[in-house]
Amino acid sequence: MGRVLLVGRLAARDLRRRPATAVLMLLAIVAATTTLTLGLALHGTTSHPYDTTRAATAGPDVVAQATLTRSGAQGPLPVDLAGLDALTHAAGVTASSGPYPYTFAAMTAGGRTVSVMVEGRDQAPAAVDRPDLTAGHWIRPGEVVVERTFADTLGLTVGDTVTLGGKSYRVAGIAVTAAIPPYPSVCWLGCYFGPGVPSGNLPGLIWATRSTARSLAIRTEPLSYLLNLRLANPAAATAFADTYNTTHRAPNAPSLMSWQAISDQDGLLVANEQRILSTASWLLGLLAVASVAVLVGGRMTEQTRRVGLLKAVGSTPKLVAAVLLAEHLAVALVAAAIGLFAGWLIAPLLASPGAGLVGAAGTPPVGLSAVGLVIAVALGVAVVATFVPAIRAARMSTVAALADVVPPPKRRGWLIALSARLPAPLLLGLRLMARRPRRAVLSVVSIAIAATGIVAVQVVHASIDQGIGNSSVLDNPQNNRLGQVMLVLSVALVLLAAVNAILIMWATVLDARHAAALARALGATPQQVTAGLSAAQVLPATLGALLGIPCGWGLVEAVRNGNNLAAPPAWWLIATVLGTVAAVAVITALPAWLGASHPAAEVLGSELA
Amino acid sequence: MTDAGGSPVLRTRGLRKDFGKGEGLVRAVDEVDLDVAPAETVAVMGPSGCGKSTLLHILGGLERPSAGEVMLAGSRLDQMGERALARLRRTAVGFVFQAFHLIDELTARENVELPALLAGRSPRAARRRATELLDRVGLADRAKFLPAALSGGQRQRVAIARALSNDPLVVLADEPTGNLDSAATLDVLRLFDSLRSTGQTLVIVTHDPRIAATSDRLISMRDGAFTGETRLTGSARGARGGLGALAGLEG
Amino acid sequence: MQDVVLAMLAKEPSHGYELRSRLREALGPLGEAMNAGQIYVTLGRLEKAGLARSEREPGLPDRPDRKVYALTPAGQQRVASWLSEVTWPGPAPAEFHLKLVAAAAGRLADPMSILDAQRRELLRLLRDAQRAAMDEPDGSAAGLVLEGVTLRLQADLRWLEACERHWAGRARHPGGGE
Repeated sequence: MGRVLLVGRLAARDLRRRPATAVLMLLAIVAATTTLTLGLALHGTTSHPYDTTRAATAGPDVVAQATLTRSGAQGPLPVDLAGLDALTHAAGVTASSGPYPYTFAAMTAGGRTVSVMVEGRDQAPAAVDRPDLTAGHWIRPGEVVVERTFADTLGLTVGDTVTLGGKSYRVAGIAVTAAIPPYPSVCWLGCYFGPGVPSGNLPGLIWATRSTARSLAIRTEPLSYLLNLRLANPAAATAFADTYNTTHRAPNAPSLMSWQAISDQDGLLVANEQRILSTASWLLGLLAVASVAVLVGGRMTEQTRRVGLLKAVGSTPKLVAAVLLAEHLAVALVAAAIGLFAGWLIAPLLASPGAGLVGAAGTPPVGLSAVGLVIAVALGVAVVATFVPAIRAARMSTVAALADVVPPPKRRGWLIALSARLPAPLLLGLRLMARRPRRAVLSVVSIAIAATGIVAVQVVHASIDQGIGNSSVLDNPQNNRLGQVMLVLSVALVLLAAVNAILIMWATVLDARHAAALARALGATPQQVTAGLSAAQVLPATLGALLGIPCGWGLVEAVRNGNNLAAPPAWWLIATVLGTVAAVAVITALPAWLGASHPAAEVLGSELA
Repeated sequence: MTDAGGSPVLRTRGLRKDFGKGEGLVRAVDEVDLDVAPAETVAVMGPSGCGKSTLLHILGGLERPSAGEVMLAGSRLDQMGERALARLRRTAVGFVFQAFHLIDELTARENVELPALLAGRSPRAARRRATELLDRVGLADRAKFLPAALSGGQRQRVAIARALSNDPLVVLADEPTGNLDSAATLDVLRLFDSLRSTGQTLVIVTHDPRIAATSDRLISMRDGAFTGETRLTGSARGARGGLGALAGLEG
Repeated sequence: MQDVVLAMLAKEPSHGYELRSRLREALGPLGEAMNAGQIYVTLGRLEKAGLARSEREPGLPDRPDRKVYALTPAGQQRVASWLSEVTWPGPAPAEFHLKLVAAAAGRLADPMSILDAQRRELLRLLRDAQRAAMDEPDGSAAGLVLEGVTLRLQADLRWLEACERHWAGRARHPGGGE
């Protein structure tokens, strides 16, 4: 017990003496734990707002959709209204509303012309699917009601005027529904952009009178129909829909969607966020390991002298290793706690599905297993990064520690021969890198991780850009949200990688003081030495940036949910690589210059002045 | 190569170097005037802390003087920028240090190649020169050895070979035998002797009388200033049989 | 010892016991080892060699410890040549030290220049010994002897440096005794 207390006291004192190192370590691990917490919290919390909306709007258990088929061996087939009718009397169906006609049309609002899905409705409230008005009142002749997310995107409010098919309509109200996914996911049902319907945006939903819908159809395209059903057993909606879909295979037969499927679609935004966060938490976790390894690496070499001193109080190198491990575990625990708290705070923001559903997402539950996982990951980061140096310290004999002998760097003949052919800065840079290969590897790894994140974001953006309708005409709030999340995560990755780069540079400069002074005594200019010190960082950074390209692509490949991936434009990738290299060169320039300008005489001079 | 015609290779006038300021001011070099003729060997002797190493660093452009002139082969070191000084170190000056300062992971030959590579010579030319120099210092068979496998005297000889790499006007040696035992010192003395016979200008800073005894001119230094100069020309009085007397032989 | 006593007489004529006390003071603890009667024997020898003469103080019995001794011209010449002698092996440390003390006390010569000259000579000898050693093949017996010679010369040179430091300090802060 006494040993544990001693270790604890020494660890606490050591942490107090070096607050900066502890804080940096903390920040690196906090980034990973926060992201991990968010990822875990968002997992499976998406259903709550949909349930509220379903209750508020008397949402359907099954939505049946009947459209005109245009192609097929028999030519165009008519809409199967008889099939829809049969469904209203099917076994297990307790209530229905519709069939409601719907079509796609062009709408002009606020100077913009966009495509919309127009559903024709009765003025009287329906039995199933009563859109919940958040502003204004339900449709009357000459009026339309706009789905809330769509209205927000267009900037429409009650009382505005829109033009449909040449006629003006007043916006009577704004509502939400559980029967159709909100903008921009309306096309999950299937969209058809016929002649006259602009295809520059994903359409949103508006409700109008049946006659309005029909009149638009005559002008632009044929009507399709939606039927809302309530089942005796809502939980069995998926089975009901699947059974029907498999037994009715005619090309124009109605297709059924269960409320669970719609709920999943509504939750897609949050599900995507969760996937992004989980992936990012891996990247940040790896980066945290690299950061801690960099921070620890420097300190272990200082500890060797300490070991000899501790011997005087009767302790051993093992004690020093234990103290170091204890410090880092303590920092990791605090980082886990901070990450859990921060994640718990931020999660509601990310869990809200947007304007399309009513009901707050509420504070997502962070279960005990999630807490345990986050703590385990944080501790894992600390242990992995500290493990090798701690073991080496523990095995060191006290005599060796007292002698403070730094083992000479391993000789790499091929590297020396290669560097001899290069100009002076690269010669110096390569040889410096060869002395500390572990540090070079850490450089490559941290930059590679940051580059992977950035390239992955670029791939996602490029894939989104290629998808239907994401153009300059309308905002896509889901993509915006995803974009924001990805931006924040990218910034976190870049900042942490930048801090790593600076720390590694400082460590290199300190180690290289003797070599730099000698080079200057032998005739290298300060500029050459600065460039050499910088090159020791820039070369690994270049490799890391290049590695980021395939890794970023691979990462998105591994986690995508079936969408096709698009390669980002080549100039984005080139800019990423060049930008990374330039950024590393800039942030390492000052330490390198300081290292090269240190008075050489001081380092090389004999002890007798 | 050495400057023909007798004008001094190295010259200082009123050289001063201060460290710190105010209460903590330390005058490391105090109004030093020095002339070093071509092919001359000058030894500066003095106790620890007398400023001789600082003087040497200033002569080689590694340290900037606080006041005074330093002239090397006609160029004013005290007025040159860092880049010009580096070029000068590359071409006109060779340093030898007490701690040898060899790179541990490079072989003897690679260590000697280094100044030539830094000066931009081709790897082949650098290697040729290094082999030639190692031969000259008598370590041709140890070209592929790492410093750890060499004795102290051999390491210093490698360092001397490195200092000669770019054919300097003057070789500046800072306590070259400080870390060596007497046998190794003798090797280095032999080497310095051979350098002198080829006309190399040497400025050696030392507190070891063995080195001082080999010089043409011996300057004593104390507290930053020169306190006296001796020419060690001429034979020792009573040298005939003097060594015998020293060894204890009568007559 | 004779030369030292002569040099001390060069400052001023003195009694035997005065000389003894000055010697004791200059040598410190080593002075205790000096035989009490040694000084009188030395003085007697000097008188016999004609380098010093003695006078009896009037009114005192005719005893050796009551005589006043002084230098003869021959003695003065001897002192002058002894001060400028640099042959080596020179006087043992005690004697060389006393040489400097006497020179300073009697203002006969500057101790620094004595030291300088001696050092120069030693360096020349060291140089010759080193040259001879370098010509010998490694491990020869002659080389071993020369190594012994050079090591002793180095030791002597180190001591001369220490003397130089001491006397330079004395020159800066005069006012100490002998």
